[in-house]
Amino acid sequence: MDRSFQVVIMYILTHLSLIFFLYPRNIIASTDEGHWIPIIIGLLFHFVTITTYLKGLSYFPKKDLINIYLGIGKGVAIFFLIPTTLYFLMIIILTIRAYSEIISIVFLSKTPLWAIMAFLLFMSTYLASKGVEAIFRTGVLIAFLFLPLIILIFCSSVQNVDWHYLFPIVDKEFTFFTNSSFYVSFFAVGGGFLFLGFIPPFLSYQRKKILIGALFLIPCFVLSVYIPILTFGQATASTLLFPFVVALDTVEMDWLIFDRVTMFFLMSLITFIMLYISLVLWKTIRIANVCFPSFKPTFLTITLSASIFILCLLIPNWNDIERVFLWNTYLRFYVMVAIPISVFYFGKRLRKE
Amino acid sequence: MKSLLREMKDTFGKNDDFFILKEHFVNAPVVFLGFKSLIDLPKTLISIQKNMDSIFQSDKTFDQLMHWIGEVKVNDTKEALSAIVEGKLVILLQDDKDQKYVIVEPISQVLNRSIESPTNENVLQGPLSSFIEDINTNIGIIRKQTNSERLQIRSYSVGTDRKKTLSVLYFENNANIDLLQKIVKHIESNLEKEINNVQDLSKMMGFSPWLAVNKFNMTELPQEASKFLVMGRIIMFVDRIPFALVLPGLFWDMFAIENDRNFPVPLMLVFRSLRIIGYLMTLILPGLYVALVAVNPEVLRIELALSVAQSRDGVPYPALVEMILMLVILELIMEASVRLPKSIGPTLTMVGGIIIGQAVVEAKLVSNLLIIVLAATTIANSTLVGFQNTLSTRLFKYIIAILASIYGILGIMGGLVLTCTYLAGLTTFGVPYLYFNMKKEEI
Amino acid sequence: MRTFKKLRVIILISFLASTLCACWDNKDINHRVLPVVLGISLLKDEYKLFLQIPQPSQGTIKTKVVMGTGKTISQAVDKISTNMESSVDLLHLKVIVFEKKLAQKGMKDLISGFMRSRDVSPKAMVAICDDDINLFFSKMKQSSEPQGTALLEYFEKNAGWNPQIALTSVWETYRSIHSYTQDVAIPMLKIGKSTLVEQVGSAVIKQGKMVEQINSDETLLFNAFNDESTNGKIEVTHDGSVLILGNKMKHKSKFINEKAYLKSKLKLKVSILETTGNATLESIKSDMEKLLTSRFNKMFTKLQNSEADILGLGQFYRKKIPRKELKNWRSEYYSKLSMDFQVQVDIQNGGNLITR
Repeated sequence: MDRSFQVVIMYILTHLSLIFFLYPRNIIASTDEGHWIPIIIGLLFHFVTITTYLKGLSYFPKKDLINIYLGIGKGVAIFFLIPTTLYFLMIIILTIRAYSEIISIVFLSKTPLWAIMAFLLFMSTYLASKGVEAIFRTGVLIAFLFLPLIILIFCSSVQNVDWHYLFPIVDKEFTFFTNSSFYVSFFAVGGGFLFLGFIPPFLSYQRKKILIGALFLIPCFVLSVYIPILTFGQATASTLLFPFVVALDTVEMDWLIFDRVTMFFLMSLITFIMLYISLVLWKTIRIANVCFPSFKPTFLTITLSASIFILCLLIPNWNDIERVFLWNTYLRFYVMVAIPISVFYFGKRLRKE
Repeated sequence: MKSLLREMKDTFGKNDDFFILKEHFVNAPVVFLGFKSLIDLPKTLISIQKNMDSIFQSDKTFDQLMHWIGEVKVNDTKEALSAIVEGKLVILLQDDKDQKYVIVEPISQVLNRSIESPTNENVLQGPLSSFIEDINTNIGIIRKQTNSERLQIRSYSVGTDRKKTLSVLYFENNANIDLLQKIVKHIESNLEKEINNVQDLSKMMGFSPWLAVNKFNMTELPQEASKFLVMGRIIMFVDRIPFALVLPGLFWDMFAIENDRNFPVPLMLVFRSLRIIGYLMTLILPGLYVALVAVNPEVLRIELALSVAQSRDGVPYPALVEMILMLVILELIMEASVRLPKSIGPTLTMVGGIIIGQAVVEAKLVSNLLIIVLAATTIANSTLVGFQNTLSTRLFKYIIAILASIYGILGIMGGLVLTCTYLAGLTTFGVPYLYFNMKKEEI
Repeated sequence: MRTFKKLRVIILISFLASTLCACWDNKDINHRVLPVVLGISLLKDEYKLFLQIPQPSQGTIKTKVVMGTGKTISQAVDKISTNMESSVDLLHLKVIVFEKKLAQKGMKDLISGFMRSRDVSPKAMVAICDDDINLFFSKMKQSSEPQGTALLEYFEKNAGWNPQIALTSVWETYRSIHSYTQDVAIPMLKIGKSTLVEQVGSAVIKQGKMVEQINSDETLLFNAFNDESTNGKIEVTHDGSVLILGNKMKHKSKFINEKAYLKSKLKLKVSILETTGNATLESIKSDMEKLLTSRFNKMFTKLQNSEADILGLGQFYRKKIPRKELKNWRSEYYSKLSMDFQVQVDIQNGGNLITR
């Protein structure tokens, strides 16, 4: 049955959750002017990766990534899947740790970090244990509840924009290529598409609709960087840790009964993050299930979550988070480049036979 | 082998409402057996007499006569016993060789109520007949409402000690064959289980009894049941349960009833959105109060924050305790007003109103803003369709309130995700609880 | 399997029990005080803080002013919190008042501190007090305004705001500290003789320090330059007084030979309120234009001399000057900017009477 709608919604939600917090800071830090160039480059990379990936997957109908690699050979499977698993684990740890820190900074400053992390982890584990179809259905429900809110607040954030801060618009020296923040910013672009390879046995979808969904994300990418720049100017925005969040803080909505609408926006994004983490957890458990078929999935889920929780507690502060982010970037580039190209190559080879 | 008569006397002889009547049919001695409480004996005898007279004139043999009156059975003791318990009249033919008896459908005592308006659901400008306890009447009502040859009915007799009739109704081309087969398989493999209430039926179907949400959708209205049949769902009737049990029950049933379609489309859309808003408000409002008052007061405007602080002046315990206390009292009042007889009920409403309304606020035990929030929550809760759904929603709001007191607004959102997750994980025989289909024709 | 199920239940229950101690952020709203106005002054080496707190009691809301000192703002707030029976929460702070001496010394660290903490909303208004801040706050205490929100309403656009009061929030000030091409003007207040506060004009802030002062009429022009609405302001010439109905600004910027040229035109729509003697439409018009142009030029010379670009003229040159040079906008290019300011007054109507 065609569940493109659910898949596209999930795609949009996971990317939205990744974009609005850390991506603007990375892009603003990567260059002084002409920010649209790194954004466009990232987006192009994203589109190329996705198109290759989807095309490669279309050569193996109803098979997920694990089966594709196992079908070709165990060595191939190990070569590709082990880094992927490591990547997934690092993403989960990083995301939970970073977002708990963000929550602690932005709203609940007195709640201890372990409580916030336990909360996020519990929600995601519960969702992941219900299976992929439940995750997608929850995604649709959550989108129905929170997307209108997000779109409304997003549209109102242009209130304090001063268009003059757009200039200067071109960075003739392309300084961002040497800046590590630029490469770290790819986490928003490359973090969320691998799930498309894990779901074909359960849900079928059309390639075209995913690409259309990706198009919808383009204004979000661009605006999440440009709204802070236009509101504050490059010099000020580069001093802020969460430029988009502070830009939202400056918006005044007199007619609403609530004062700080940033809070609702951020909370909705956190629910999307819960979805994202549960999806990545589910993928990891799938791979782990193939490696250890004797254990029941529920047992694997609980063990995995407990170990992730302990690992998260080991990262003490924000600077360490940034460092782990940097390490993960190398892994991310490997996964982002290797897996789509390999799937495409194997698919083409199969076609020829 | 005892004779049938001896058998009957042994099993039922001690019952004072069991009668044994010796009569003569055309000079052949017969014995009438049955329960006085289930059979209207005088009328039945008269009607049999009339039957006999009219048939007598057409000059048939004794055997043919017996066939004409009812079902003739030989030697089947168990059948005879269960027929008597069911309320039928057994005519024993005093024949030394065989053990023939006739099961006659008598004129029964009127033991069922008439078809009245529904007691658990209210209908605005729609048909008002509702199902009753007798399964045949219910099936008859459905047949009348649907009026189609494609309606199929299968009946089973379940239970060993206490027997009940279970009927499964479906529409021939619309129903999901897979679903139907699974249901039938479950029934047929569990025929000896007793079914007295919906929990037993759930167990028979293989549902876990610990679910917070009922997987059956229960309705008293024939028009709803008929609509469900056309949409492809399966309806089950159990004798003496005056509801149509619809499988699978879906999430959208909480918001959409068939009666909406008696109004024009904009009005229908307004009603349905009202119910959705009511659902969300029930879940969120208590948690929102706790979160905004205790954890995240920066979200309120300063004037509102000051008036809230003013209203909470002197309240001795934290917001969460206040909220749960009042919610529990409200639940107690609601449960109590169901229990009380109709004559004392209004007194309790008055007492409840006075306690909650005035005294508790003036005694500074709770703040008056909380009362407003609670009243809004209760009203919003009651906009949902289906009494069982209101109860499930009531459960979820406690969880959200507790999460809100720990994590603030994040807790509310997390609680909503938890609720969505729970609902998304429910499936009935492969059909998910959150089944959305744009095509209104199918399930 | 059975024991596993039981184990699950036990784990769940113990988790629930642990939430009983989970009241970290949970503090009832009536156990917090929510100050609305914060006053800061410098006393030798320490900061002295004034907090105006609305306190609900017996059905009405009374105002209370508390004071505290400390080496930093947070320390001072903490000390006040220690001495008060409820904890102080700066979440609802709406106006921050700096003493003039402190503003002249420099507010950069304080503003950065406010932006860093998530408590204080970046939308809070900033103001400078021209008088002794002790007297200012004691006057506040005596005000009979309900809810003690008088000072907020002063800045509310729907309430007491007037076009000659500058409106600057904390984030705008923070932006001006870091921006290459923009500065802000902060309104200056004084204790009023018969009203609560009196407007004295605005302070020109460059990189967090007060360098110059402009009066209220000039502030009106500043607001008009920033496309703020000047509706409702009354201007007086010696020929009559008019009510401004609307304003629009048009700018044309040029950058030739490392020198900046700017041509700005202000279009005003007015209606006549009062006339003196035999004033004609033409005379009122030309008088107004002359008055406004001379006022603006005076203000602009002042601003150029102090190298503070509160009108945001640098914004127009972001396209024309490369970014590296833009850092020196204020020192090199702004002081040499040649400005051609014109006013065009359009008298829309003369009220009920015919004016020629």
